[in-house]
Amino acid sequence: MKRLLSLAAGFLLLLNGVVYAQQREVTGKVTDANGAPLAGVSVKVKGTNTGAYTEDDGTYKVTLSKGLSTLVFSFIGYEDQEVDVKSDKLNISLTQTAKNLNEVVVVGYGTQVKKELTSVVSRVKGSEVQNMPVPNLSQAIQGRAAGVFVESQNGKVGEGIKVRVRGATSINGSNEPLYVVDGVPLTGGTFGSASADINFNDVESFEILKDAAATAIYGSRAANGVILITTKRGKSGKTKFTFNTQYGTQSPTAKRGFLNAAEYIEFFREAAVNTAKYHYNRAGNWLGFASEAAAITNMTTWMEGRFRRYSGFNDDWRTLKVNTNWEDLAFNDDARSSQVELNAQGGNDKTKFFISGSLQNQDGILVGNEFKRIGLRFNLDHQVNNWLKLGLNAMNNKTVRNRVPLDNAFSTPMQIVALAPITPVRDANGALYDRPVTTYYNPLIDFEDAIFKINGYRTQGNIYAESRIMKGLTLRNELGLDMVSQSEDRFWSSRTLAGAGIGGSARAQWLRNTRWVTNNYLNYINTFKDVHKIEATAGISFENRYDEYVYVEGENFADESIKTLAGAGTITAGESTQDENNLFSYFGRVNYGYKGKYLASVSFRADADSRFGTNYKYGYFPSFSAGWILTEENFLKDVKWLSFLKLRGSYGVLGNNTGLGFYAARSQYGPVTYGTSSGLSITNFGNDDLRWEKTASVDLGLDFGFFNNRLTGEFNWYKKKTSDMLLAVPVPSPSGTTSVLGNIGEMENKGIEIVLNSVNVSNKNLRWTTSFNIARNKNKLTKLDGEQKEILPSDARFANALIIGQPIGVFYAPRFAGADPNNGDPLFYKEDGKTTTSSYNEAGRFIVGDPNPDWIGGITNTVTWKGLELNFLFQGVFGNQVQDGAGGFMSASGDWFDNQTRDQLNRWRKAGDITQVPEARINRWGDFESPSISTRYIYDADYIRLKNVTLAYNIPQKLVNKAKLSSARIYLSGVNLLTFTDYPGWDPEVNTDYRVSNVNQGSDFYAAPQIKSFVFGITLGL
Amino acid sequence: MKKIFLYIAVAGLIPFTGCDKRLELKNPQSIDATDAFSSDAKVKKVLVGNYEAMGGAAMFGGDVLWMSELMASGGELNWVGTFPDPRQIWSKNMLTNNSNAAATYAQAYRIIFNANNIIANIGVVAAADQARVRAEAQFQRALAYFELIKFFGEKPFFAGSPSTLKGVPLITSPGPSAPQDPQYLLPRASVDAVYQQIITDLTQAETNLPHKNGVYANKSSAALALARVYLQQDNYTGARDAADRCITSATGNGFSLVGTYSAAFNNSANTTEDLFAIQVTNQAGTNSCFTYFSTGTYGARDGDIEVTDAHYNKYNAADARRSIFFFEAGAWRCGKWRDIYKNVKVMRLAEAYLTRAECNFRLGTSVGATPLTDVNRTRNRAGLSSLGTVTLQNILDERELELAFEGQGIWDAKRLRLTVDGKAWNDNKMTFPIPLREMNVNPNLVQNPGY
Repeated sequence: MKRLLSLAAGFLLLLNGVVYAQQREVTGKVTDANGAPLAGVSVKVKGTNTGAYTEDDGTYKVTLSKGLSTLVFSFIGYEDQEVDVKSDKLNISLTQTAKNLNEVVVVGYGTQVKKELTSVVSRVKGSEVQNMPVPNLSQAIQGRAAGVFVESQNGKVGEGIKVRVRGATSINGSNEPLYVVDGVPLTGGTFGSASADINFNDVESFEILKDAAATAIYGSRAANGVILITTKRGKSGKTKFTFNTQYGTQSPTAKRGFLNAAEYIEFFREAAVNTAKYHYNRAGNWLGFASEAAAITNMTTWMEGRFRRYSGFNDDWRTLKVNTNWEDLAFNDDARSSQVELNAQGGNDKTKFFISGSLQNQDGILVGNEFKRIGLRFNLDHQVNNWLKLGLNAMNNKTVRNRVPLDNAFSTPMQIVALAPITPVRDANGALYDRPVTTYYNPLIDFEDAIFKINGYRTQGNIYAESRIMKGLTLRNELGLDMVSQSEDRFWSSRTLAGAGIGGSARAQWLRNTRWVTNNYLNYINTFKDVHKIEATAGISFENRYDEYVYVEGENFADESIKTLAGAGTITAGESTQDENNLFSYFGRVNYGYKGKYLASVSFRADADSRFGTNYKYGYFPSFSAGWILTEENFLKDVKWLSFLKLRGSYGVLGNNTGLGFYAARSQYGPVTYGTSSGLSITNFGNDDLRWEKTASVDLGLDFGFFNNRLTGEFNWYKKKTSDMLLAVPVPSPSGTTSVLGNIGEMENKGIEIVLNSVNVSNKNLRWTTSFNIARNKNKLTKLDGEQKEILPSDARFANALIIGQPIGVFYAPRFAGADPNNGDPLFYKEDGKTTTSSYNEAGRFIVGDPNPDWIGGITNTVTWKGLELNFLFQGVFGNQVQDGAGGFMSASGDWFDNQTRDQLNRWRKAGDITQVPEARINRWGDFESPSISTRYIYDADYIRLKNVTLAYNIPQKLVNKAKLSSARIYLSGVNLLTFTDYPGWDPEVNTDYRVSNVNQGSDFYAAPQIKSFVFGITLGL
Repeated sequence: MKKIFLYIAVAGLIPFTGCDKRLELKNPQSIDATDAFSSDAKVKKVLVGNYEAMGGAAMFGGDVLWMSELMASGGELNWVGTFPDPRQIWSKNMLTNNSNAAATYAQAYRIIFNANNIIANIGVVAAADQARVRAEAQFQRALAYFELIKFFGEKPFFAGSPSTLKGVPLITSPGPSAPQDPQYLLPRASVDAVYQQIITDLTQAETNLPHKNGVYANKSSAALALARVYLQQDNYTGARDAADRCITSATGNGFSLVGTYSAAFNNSANTTEDLFAIQVTNQAGTNSCFTYFSTGTYGARDGDIEVTDAHYNKYNAADARRSIFFFEAGAWRCGKWRDIYKNVKVMRLAEAYLTRAECNFRLGTSVGATPLTDVNRTRNRAGLSSLGTVTLQNILDERELELAFEGQGIWDAKRLRLTVDGKAWNDNKMTFPIPLREMNVNPNLVQNPGY
């Protein structure tokens, strides 16, 4: 890091001598087409952040540094104008336009003018998320695009993130959108999240393709939307450098709080007595105590023995000498982040380039958790002659993740909260206490004595040739490669849970996932007789995916300072595998526009995939769409307040191939080992009919602009019907298996999206814009296998179910009725919903929650005042619930020795107490039921979050020039600074990593709270 | 130049030839099911694969052993671990969604599925080996059904009218190829029908298995399994004769009690006493008894199962079998399961002697040997002096101590009509519930009473 800084500083020094600034002043007046002066027009010096705004009389004055000669005039409701300044005086008139509708957006295998789109594409500009202190681009776009739901599983840095574009269409496939970076689909790795591999500061724009008209050209991978990532390219002109650095700190969004030592002792003493009484009076005294008092004595003695043990086999618990706050110890109280980046871009008419290098380092909030990324990018375009253009996009990077175990592992930092507050952290020799002194394994031992490290290497890019065959017809040939290599190195010393008894153990895993793809397509664009505009695309594509994997495990280490497998005395396991997949496709699209007001489009793709069953080798995915720009009609031309209005609709059929393993269609026997012999065992029950899941999608919408487009927006209504959904249908065990995969399910999603963008204030000094989006999606499972109505949970901790007529993963569990006022037993409602029972088995089961939000939204405000910029994004999720699977341990009325959450202090204590917390009892003898999942552990998880705030100051040009720079900006930026929620756990944005699936949503289980970040940064332009 | 380049570029648009081949990719890591029964060698590998399935944690990889012992605790074993599912079994207060019960049920049928397939394809096996391969598959199938009927059958066989008591679904053919076929929605066969199938399989297995067969099923293990089955039917004659045949076959072929009691446990290779054991190495196999009985010091969990003084004090101080227990993490631990990567003992020769002794005593016979001789055999090995006379209780006590925590606990308790932890041998809660997941997918199943 230091080295890069000094390198950057070197650049600064070097350039000091080169960029000698000689200034000149330019003045002039800006008017509208009728000659009326325009006030508040932004006059910017191109390539810098400097400029001025016009006065009330339309006049302006700007200072140009030497070498800079282009001014950009922009004003809301008018077309931007770039003018090369030849003299010191420049008067100009701007023409009115629907400016942001003239934007060009990237679509599948091409670009299109936004105004003429008949499909639904959300665009997030790279500049909107620039410098946001998160490792993952999906986190950066959270809350910024309508209908795009983003949820980080937990607060482990650089790990799994759920992204849903217009809801879920699959139970067994992926519901993640397809990511395509500069034309190459992004290959997932196995460890950590693939989208964390990309430095999104290199990204020019994210286009999120949402409806069938936009996505169908991606065929069998389009059903969950497509996110096109376009990286920055060079522009001709002087080479420009941008240097950016930021530093910051990280902390958890919340801590829960557990019982302290005094409370713990009191609580569990009480539990001991209650248990003894219960055993003697209500459980039949099967242990045969002579009296209730004898049972109490037995229980109390046992309990005090436990206290003694948990104190380190001494009586310190009696004096409360130790009061350990274990929760605090799960977190790194000095978590920092830093980022340094340098990029350059420029070129001439023939050759343009963009290069960047970046170094990012982010500590997780959990002890031992860290994410680092070093990334390089090189993008090049070269015009060979008047008909041939060549180019390159290339990314190379390395990521390093120091991970922590999954949430359900005893060794993961968050499980430390289960330990007793009376237990000291270390013994007299400074060694960490372990069992039997700690209640469970002490995760800090893993932090000190285990290694869990992932190195990831990604090379991603493509080369292209674009040939102009004749006017309007170009051929583009692309060859792309995405290669991700990851290695996972784990080591456990003999002190750790995993290394104990075997002399320490280690595992090394290595994988390489390679995808090569070639796209070859023709683009044709022409306008006939001035009124018929045609854009057409047709091509073919071939993709090969090849995954290689090797792993080795060993134990019995010669010396535990040797932490690689070289030190293992015994190699206990090893394997190598190879998997391959081919995809062969035809695709095409025709857009037709008549007089710029009647629009229609047809697209098509055929995919043949090697993973499909022999009875279904080809999938066909068409789409049709149309639009009508009403404001081009004479009857609306004179409506002054209405600047733009377009109606559009689309229909198409999309696929999802991800539910199928590469060989899932085949019944297979795989190798197994018994003793020292090899054997064969059935590993897959296949099905020749296995194929893609099919989603038919219809979308109706309108785009509008009011008041010279000061208020613009869009409205969408959509319905997606998924059929042929792949399901692991549970079958009776006598069939030899418990489930089998088939294309049988059906699901639907219905929703609306509303987007509003407004310019609230725009004058000389102050500009305030607001961007608002809100979306509702209603997911409904409509068919399972045609016979079953539901696939019910059979898990004691979690309640996710599949029930026809209900959203995917809905919670189905008993309704908790609080503590019995008479005896403190937990009560549940029976099937009738009215009478109660203390028996979990007798309780009725009900639909008691939904992990899918009803509404999601975001609102971004940007206020610029002189050189200051304030940007803040609130993001919200509404109408969903979260189940706390760990509730049965940590909020369990002292069912076992896990430290309890503070709400358990409200336990039932005497007849007549009305409380939600049953009597404290420790389940030593199994006399009563330990808590299972019920509404006792299901909570509303709506939240509103201050997702991102950036306060930036652009240093005045005068000062910047003095420093021989072209621009300078300092900023403060924060992520997740405030969270408003009623969820009692750590954080309502959660889905525990160890059980995450499409159905298993909305689960908390010792999941780390989200990361709150705060950074300070500087961006310098040279 | 332009033309040439364009030709090259346009060539990219020509569809790739041989594309069909590229769409038929085989898994490099496995073979198609249609190949799995295509040769003698492959069927035999599937047979080995089914031993691996038997060794799954949910079956003889340990669960069926410790589940039996937890249920039979009687104040001698405590489940102190954090997992609630085993605790439910220990306290005989199970929920229908108990995950251990569901896993065992499914794994047993996986073994049966494999065995049914092997038997159906027996014609592919070399003629000389057909009888043995078939016998091994029958042995596998019978052991799986026996665990199913004991854990999930409505009541024990001897509870009366076994032909009306509900057993478990009975399937002996490979069935249709599609697992979702409604033919698998089988109702529960009667307890009697399931026992008949088990006896048929084991009888044929015993006949056709060799005396020695490496780590795989042999004549003596099939005979001892048969003895266990007859005991569960109160058929002492059958049990006696089967135990005697077991001993004859075993001792005539190199099997014998090992010298010291402790040498019989924590072995990574079968001892001369092991008639059948699940093979566990540091590379393959699991031993879930180790996981729960042993402690963190030995690489297990936290010592989830504790042995109480009530059990420990049952041993005479001189009894070598007492020293197998070790005190760790605040309680006695059963050292039979102390070490990692050791075989799971499913059948030891010692059991055959004690079964023969008990049955001979009950029947007043001395088939093979007198009850006294058989009992003193294990007593002497444990360092105890010979008894001069023997009572039934002597034999049962000896059996309890010799086989403690090896998986016979609840089955002996039931056939001896004992009350365990306040629950009578035929209490509803002394039987597992039919797993909720099976009830959910098969409308023809009826739940056990009490659940």
